[in-house]
Amino acid sequence: MVRGTIFSGIPVTLITGFLGSGKTTLLGRLLRHPGMNRAAVVINEYGEVPLDHELVAASSEQMTLLSNGCLCCTLRTDLQETLRELFVKRRAGEVIDFDRVFVETTGLADPVPVLHTLQTDGLLGAQYRLNGVVTLVDAVNGMDQLDTQPEAVKQAAVADRVVVSKTDIAGEDAARKLIDRVRAMNSFAEVKMAVDGDVDPAWLAAIAPSRATASEDELDRWLPRVIDAVSAMTARPHDAGIESFCLWFDKPFTWPRLNAALQTLTALRGPDLLRVKGIVHVEGEAAPIVIQGAQHVFHPPIPLAGGGRTDPRSRIVFIVRNIPRTSIESLFNAVGAL
Amino acid sequence: MISTLAGPGARADQALSFNMRLLAHHELAGFGGIGEGMAMQQAKDGRRILWMAHEAAPKNFTAVDVTDPRAPKMVVQTDLPHAKVRSNSLDIVGDTMIVAYQTKNVGMKPAGFDIFDISTPESPRLITHFDASGPHSRGVHAVWFVDGEYVHMASGAPDHEPTHPNDDQFYRIVDVRNRSKPAEAGRWWLPGTKKGDSAPPPKRLDPKFDIGFRAHNTNVFPERSDRAYIGYIDGGAVILDISDKAHPKLVANWRYSPPFNGFCHTVLPLFSKNLLIVSDECVKDDGVDWPKMVWVVDARVESNLVPIATCPTPPHSTFAHRGGRFGAHNLHENLPVPTSWRSDDIVIGTWFNAGVRAYDVSNPWQPQEVAYYVPAAPAMAPTGAVQLNDVYVDDRRIVYTVDRHIGGLYVLEMTF
Repeated sequence: MVRGTIFSGIPVTLITGFLGSGKTTLLGRLLRHPGMNRAAVVINEYGEVPLDHELVAASSEQMTLLSNGCLCCTLRTDLQETLRELFVKRRAGEVIDFDRVFVETTGLADPVPVLHTLQTDGLLGAQYRLNGVVTLVDAVNGMDQLDTQPEAVKQAAVADRVVVSKTDIAGEDAARKLIDRVRAMNSFAEVKMAVDGDVDPAWLAAIAPSRATASEDELDRWLPRVIDAVSAMTARPHDAGIESFCLWFDKPFTWPRLNAALQTLTALRGPDLLRVKGIVHVEGEAAPIVIQGAQHVFHPPIPLAGGGRTDPRSRIVFIVRNIPRTSIESLFNAVGAL
Repeated sequence: MISTLAGPGARADQALSFNMRLLAHHELAGFGGIGEGMAMQQAKDGRRILWMAHEAAPKNFTAVDVTDPRAPKMVVQTDLPHAKVRSNSLDIVGDTMIVAYQTKNVGMKPAGFDIFDISTPESPRLITHFDASGPHSRGVHAVWFVDGEYVHMASGAPDHEPTHPNDDQFYRIVDVRNRSKPAEAGRWWLPGTKKGDSAPPPKRLDPKFDIGFRAHNTNVFPERSDRAYIGYIDGGAVILDISDKAHPKLVANWRYSPPFNGFCHTVLPLFSKNLLIVSDECVKDDGVDWPKMVWVVDARVESNLVPIATCPTPPHSTFAHRGGRFGAHNLHENLPVPTSWRSDDIVIGTWFNAGVRAYDVSNPWQPQEVAYYVPAAPAMAPTGAVQLNDVYVDDRRIVYTVDRHIGGLYVLEMTF
């Protein structure tokens, strides 16, 4: 892996969720929130998010500046091009100095290719960074969708934040069951229930560490120190064989060993490696390294700044499909022993 | 294609920022015009004092306590003896400060540099003055003092008559080990620029861009104490062998004007990468001398310097006619002193009305802009826009940048 040099870029948060899960409602609420000044929102399905006339401060064919300072932009071409053009316009001062971007994916989309876009495009990489994936799951229809729609399962599996919507209609019991099912797949996502898309934008905005000097609290928020016992407690079999777990390592890695383990894993089981997030210690590095990947694509590992970091252990969260935890543990142990 | 909405870029009164955050702004008691001398002292009592040389009279230099970068406090501000002299440049080692003096016309005084004892920052004590005045000298434009022993500078001299009046300042080395008796150790000028030289005078640039064949920044680093890296204005980038200080020898001279419009300002070596970062200075308002850039130069063979990239320039359409100068100028120079940030990956420079900008040169073939901050036009800005002139980054990654005319000091945090 080529080592990244800096944390950079405007945080991009993906908002995903199956058709009818409430993305439009959530976006409609977000766009009106006073805390969304200096946010840019890229919406996918033109015209779906209704904007009141009095909310619009200025408008052009594909962009609308709202009176709260939020920039709403319609995705017409591909996401890379839209993000690049947005930044060019920001740099030239032709649009507001937006400081974060929310991207709505289509309901049927697999979010992983969108993650890849942000992780592999060198030019975008200097300007944007992935903040996280927010997935909406509908408490009324979510169970059925998880049973029948593989995209819905994948959307929930890769999430950093899960918003369970329509809980007022479905009732608390149904919502709780759905939450248990999501947690069984992905015990590292924070889950909240929401009615009519009423979610604090701050909860969606600060997911990944934003700077090399990120505090332990910020790191823990991105990579919670939860014990992955939740899945063990649930009787239900994992959805499509998906499960999540965290591996802890007491000894620092060496770069060759870390690379060898991750390369072997991606080469042999890339498609089933839905998401990998880690904070790892590497010999010779003054501070831990942040690693991120989805399927076969890894973001260049980025060093944190030193000072005040007390936990000498490394931890890597895996969200995988049909890969037993023990297999990954054995791989790391074997590589570590060589 | 995303069409245009009127944004802050159309307006010089709004800040633009990316990966840099303003922590504090200090107007320096109304004398907010700073030149290109910025240095940080770690005082014996633990305070961090940022010293700045003013761009023009009436003020000489100003010191600000930046121990808490969010709450800068002015410590001292001094006056020049008259209005036809400017300090512009200073450097600090320990409690010794060197301050340059350049007069408006030749033959005037004080033209040279002062040595101050700043152990009590509130009351700088003059130790001595080094006189560089003369019938053909305006004195010293820029000083480099990082080892506590030698001042390297762009200066005229009493005994030096240039072939062209614009070529009056050349490279001089002054031994200041005895603080009260500074003595010249060596000098070098571009052959042909001194009367009596056997070489013919250099061919001048188009009169529109003719600034002169003279030294500007004269940098020497401990990694290569036998080399001086010099921006020689219209003469391009110069590397000298100074292993014998009394007899500097030319190693390399990269000339790129014409076709470009002159004014090579800083030559910053990135030793671990065998690169030079070379910055121009924009000296004309309204984009007249555009492009003025930050170059990446391959220095693997130091006698054959090859430019391989330029750092992305700020958008011309936004800034060229925004007011004042638009183009490259000073770089943070990786000063080999404890209070200076040093990086061979990130290059930070000022761009006058396009603010301060940071570049990631870890891939030297394709430098990326990773941060910028363009302050809103300061109150009563004569050009209607900010004119960021110089930048210093401390070992805490705090960025200090100054306006050339009136805006004073901006303290920024790099958030990447």
